[in-house]
Amino acid sequence: MDPSFLVIQGISGLTMAMILFLVASGLTLLFGVVNVFNFAHGSFYMLGAYFAYTFVSILGFNFWVSLLLAGVAAGAFGMLMEMLFLRRIYGRAEEAGFQILLTYSFILIIDDLVKMVWGTEYKSLQRPDGFSGSVELLGMVLPSYNLAIIVLGLLVAVGSWLVLSRTRGGRIARATAIDREMLSTLGVNVPLTLSLTFGIATALGGVAGALAAPLRSVTPGAGIEVIIDSLIVVVLGGMGNFWGALLGSLIIGEVTAFAVAFVPDWASLFSFLVMIVVLIFKPEGLFSPAKVRRA
Amino acid sequence: MQRNSWSVFLAVVVALAVLPSHVWAQEKVIKIGAIYPMTGRAGLYGMDSVAAMEMAMEEINAKGGVAGYKLDALSTDSKVKPDYSVRIAKRYIEEDKVHFLFGVVSSGVGLAVTEVSKQYKKIFIGTDHAATELTVDNFQPYYFRVSNNTFQSMAAGAIYLKELQAQKPWKRIAYIGPDYAYGHSQWNELRYCLDRLGVQYEVAGEHWPKLAQPDYTPFITTIMKDKPDILVSGFWGGDTVAFIKQAIPYGLLKNVLYFHPDAGGNYELMSSMGDELPDGLVLSARHHNNWPDTELNRKFVGDFFKRTGRYPSYAAEGAYAGVYAIAYAVEKVGNPDDADALVKALEGMKLKLPEDPEGFTSYMDPDTHQIVQMQAIGVTMPNADFPPAKKMLGNWKIYKAEDLLPPKEYIEMKRKK
Repeated sequence: MDPSFLVIQGISGLTMAMILFLVASGLTLLFGVVNVFNFAHGSFYMLGAYFAYTFVSILGFNFWVSLLLAGVAAGAFGMLMEMLFLRRIYGRAEEAGFQILLTYSFILIIDDLVKMVWGTEYKSLQRPDGFSGSVELLGMVLPSYNLAIIVLGLLVAVGSWLVLSRTRGGRIARATAIDREMLSTLGVNVPLTLSLTFGIATALGGVAGALAAPLRSVTPGAGIEVIIDSLIVVVLGGMGNFWGALLGSLIIGEVTAFAVAFVPDWASLFSFLVMIVVLIFKPEGLFSPAKVRRA
Repeated sequence: MQRNSWSVFLAVVVALAVLPSHVWAQEKVIKIGAIYPMTGRAGLYGMDSVAAMEMAMEEINAKGGVAGYKLDALSTDSKVKPDYSVRIAKRYIEEDKVHFLFGVVSSGVGLAVTEVSKQYKKIFIGTDHAATELTVDNFQPYYFRVSNNTFQSMAAGAIYLKELQAQKPWKRIAYIGPDYAYGHSQWNELRYCLDRLGVQYEVAGEHWPKLAQPDYTPFITTIMKDKPDILVSGFWGGDTVAFIKQAIPYGLLKNVLYFHPDAGGNYELMSSMGDELPDGLVLSARHHNNWPDTELNRKFVGDFFKRTGRYPSYAAEGAYAGVYAIAYAVEKVGNPDDADALVKALEGMKLKLPEDPEGFTSYMDPDTHQIVQMQAIGVTMPNADFPPAKKMLGNWKIYKAEDLLPPKEYIEMKRKK
């Protein structure tokens, strides 16, 4: 076995992990702060891809500007969804059931909206200028766009962590997760915080979709295709845990990459196996402190 | 006031419910029950199929219909779900009293609907799904397929590879395809056909990503490590696009011949990738917008474009052919009600279709109820005649329909199982 192949395969897994992390980070943020399982999170990934396509291919904007705009547009859409719909079911008995029904219905609604606005034809986005080729490193070919995704993913991870832990807004968001009533007694506008968090989380989904668009096909239904893997990642890392999502993505990315290389017939089984093992031995997720079980 | 608006609403509902059947009562109608996916990534195939089906019905109705009947169709979203599609099919037969079941893009759905067709003795015209099982292992007399199956494209592929070996010796062959029936049967059939032709080769890896896998990077790097001469691909739709896009920057497609004879040459690959699509990929599909260059094909593609504003994916021509097959059978029998007589008529069908080159007419194989058609395999090259595509297939190699049918012993072996 050529050792450089192991490095290449490791980097393949890393590329996969970073897009997964960008999608999962928004999902886990919603779990952690808003306490919502947003089934439609993948649909914001899809919206991000379609927005980026519109900005780049139709309006002729620069790719990186379009990436930001796609995030903003997806986030605005997410905030609207939170303010008009999700807000109405907070605190209801059986809230979890309502959340799943409501956000699932948004998968269908957003899919149909996409079909109406952009049609069913597959769209495609070219890699941005300067990132269409590959670089050679130690005799290995590495696509430069894949490297850009890895770097951006890490930047988003560190940036989000800084915002959450070092800024006032981030502290408020984390406090929202713990005690909403206390926070509003202290004069914090909790509903606004929740909407903003929702906006940021869906914007992350949108950026992930826009970033993945040059590597994937932009089609209706793309949202449902990424949500399952992201969910595995979120469960692995501990629901609502940001670093957990990063670790979970890395595990799934690398496990898949090496399973594909060494046990090709069973490759898609392994990410589920990892999840099962974690659920059995550490059901609260890898990064969460073990909870005291109450009878 | 409120009661008033309710009664208006109810009146409208009643009127809507009564009106169509009243209209139907006026003239004799052949009713087609179409089942196609309308959502998700298969939605494009469904939309194209329905558009082409309606186009064919309008053409026939404009000429006065067939045997005194007009064609009419119902269409329902299959959601690509077999159990759900079975319910639609049963509802079509029991409540809507359709004469023909029609459609389906997924072979999984096709295998489920063919059971309904068998149970109710209602003819099912298969227009797009390609799994060979439907006409071989799970054959039943009321099923007819009007587009090529995977065996036919793989048989053509095997001959292509054999001819290639004579010019440019290759040895190592690898496969990548979706991990379900469609992906696996293509690979098995290709190897069966290669062995039958006596081609010498060595398998350099088999890869099974799941359907709609978003990321192929680890597959690509593994294939590069194995260094095959030829990479056979069994993807369809968006998966083809995603795989090719991810493979380009690795240079995989320069070092390895990308060979994709069943669904690779579909127009949506060309239209969505534009300039980015590399030259020299060897692809085919069940219908091509630029082959054969016959008046019938030009008219079909042109009319479809006029109707929808886009060029058709291959699914469209299958649906178009299906409507003409129904018209053919009803014309012969004189009515759409006698299913057994219609089966006999379809078994002897000869039909000139847009995908038939000069001098060839598609016909139905009476043993398998599989339409027999030519297959053309081409190579991607610059051609901007069908925008937004910038590349199309060219340098065609044409394979005779009779050479592509599964041999008798293959059919018998599969049916015995």
